[in-house]
Amino acid sequence: MSNDLGQIKDVIIGGKHKEIEDLVKAAIKKEEVSLDSIINDAMIAAMDIVGQKFADSEIFVPEMLVSAMTMKKGLNIIKPLLQGDASESKGTIIICTVKGDMHDIGKNLVTMMLEGAGFNVVDLGVDLSVEKVIEQVEQVRPEILGLSALLTTTMPEMKKVIEALEEKGLRNNVKVIIGGAPVDAAFAQKIGADGYGDDATEAVRQARRLIAEN
Amino acid sequence: MKSTGHNLIMSALYNGRKGDRPPAGNPTSIVCQDLMDACGVSFPQAHLNADAMADLALAGHEILGFDTVMPEYSVHQESAALGCDVNWGDRDTMPDGKSFPYSDFSDIEIPENILEKPSMRVVLDALSILRRSVGDKVAIMGKVMGPWTLSYHMAGTQNFLLQIGMGENEKVIKMMRQLMPVTIAFANAQFQAGADVVCLADHVTGDLASPRHYQELLLPLHKEITPQIGGPLILHVCGNCNDRLDLFAEAGFEAYHFEWQMDAKSVVKKVGHLMSLAGCINNAQVLYQGTPDDAYTQARYAIDAGVNIVGPECAIPLTTPLENLKAIVTAVCEGY
Repeated sequence: MSNDLGQIKDVIIGGKHKEIEDLVKAAIKKEEVSLDSIINDAMIAAMDIVGQKFADSEIFVPEMLVSAMTMKKGLNIIKPLLQGDASESKGTIIICTVKGDMHDIGKNLVTMMLEGAGFNVVDLGVDLSVEKVIEQVEQVRPEILGLSALLTTTMPEMKKVIEALEEKGLRNNVKVIIGGAPVDAAFAQKIGADGYGDDATEAVRQARRLIAEN
Repeated sequence: MKSTGHNLIMSALYNGRKGDRPPAGNPTSIVCQDLMDACGVSFPQAHLNADAMADLALAGHEILGFDTVMPEYSVHQESAALGCDVNWGDRDTMPDGKSFPYSDFSDIEIPENILEKPSMRVVLDALSILRRSVGDKVAIMGKVMGPWTLSYHMAGTQNFLLQIGMGENEKVIKMMRQLMPVTIAFANAQFQAGADVVCLADHVTGDLASPRHYQELLLPLHKEITPQIGGPLILHVCGNCNDRLDLFAEAGFEAYHFEWQMDAKSVVKKVGHLMSLAGCINNAQVLYQGTPDDAYTQARYAIDAGVNIVGPECAIPLTTPLENLKAIVTAVCEGY
């Protein structure tokens, strides 16, 4: 890996958000460094390490948020320059936090990781009613719908969304991934979801799997 | 000692005489749709009207058999008084904050008459109604938010945590210091209104922050808060907090309300000699999705482990079946 990519990777892992833009701009100017490598070998690779550190309790949400913010600042410089394969969407994903739940940190981290992995993500925000989610699925026609809930009091909303997709005849056209502190793989299976992500890194893995199976 | 709910709870808070059975208690909400239907009181009235609030709290004892009555079902009473827009929900939805008035971390303006703001006054009035209603039959439990949780509501959770990640310690400590008086005043007012014990919820949870964050940013404030409140306090922090239990035990709380994801035996072994323990029946898998047998089994495990007050680990989902909650009471009624 080039020194430029290594430095970009390090500042993302370390959350040095003030340094990322200059490093990315400098890397872009070098012929031997491709945009694709900046994204895949530096940024996504860095976030994979950040995700692992989080899973191992070496870092916590505050540090992960700063790393994600740092990656996004770098990605914003690259995005307008992307052409061809690198800019080709890996698939469209609608994501939201379910009705009655205003918590969005996990959803935002997953969104950032999915965008970094090349997916087109439509973030509907928080506190989304079943009706609003269905309306957006009908309109956007995503390959995947991601549902997030932090509270045990709001996790039943996930089941309601899946039931509504079935009632509207939309269930066969969209895969559903769920995530959030109170839910697990067993709950995902019980309510008929197609995947469960324990953290943002796993959410990306699940999205890749479901798109590949499609 | 007479084994009234009140005596069992108060004794359990100080690890005192055990009576003939452990108490069932709820530092956080045990309201579900079935309980609302059974007593004829629903959200949002139960957040906004003192009589409705007290009636729903009483149902926790009269219908479910818990040894506590706890009339606060949201985490937004203080934030509403401090200027947040709050949607108080309905029978199917818990209340939620809709705005973050101090996302810029500017100085927080605390109204001089904050205890008279409707969302605060209603809790105090409900506690007084309960005091007159239950006497010393069961323990009356109040609830306040600590400065960490109030900061989530003032600045937005992600924004608050991001500042911590960026090392802006001065900024976050300033905000929490400005909010501390609200926690202290509301807790003391709840005791004056009739509470026997107050749950202080401060969500420095293992899912969101590290033990170092707690130790450096919040523990010093907790150590200042606890001596200024004139009654027993139960700290509620959800999530896996195994890595900071010893720090919680330093902060001056009488008890800690914890989740099932921490093994009850290990928690009791680690800090049971320093503070009483409440909890820890799992919400998501057991109370919401499981059976009465599942809830009973976990409650017996908690009792055998030495948990002093047995109850749900956190505010329960509104679709929780009543029978699963009653199974906790069945388990405690079998004694030790």
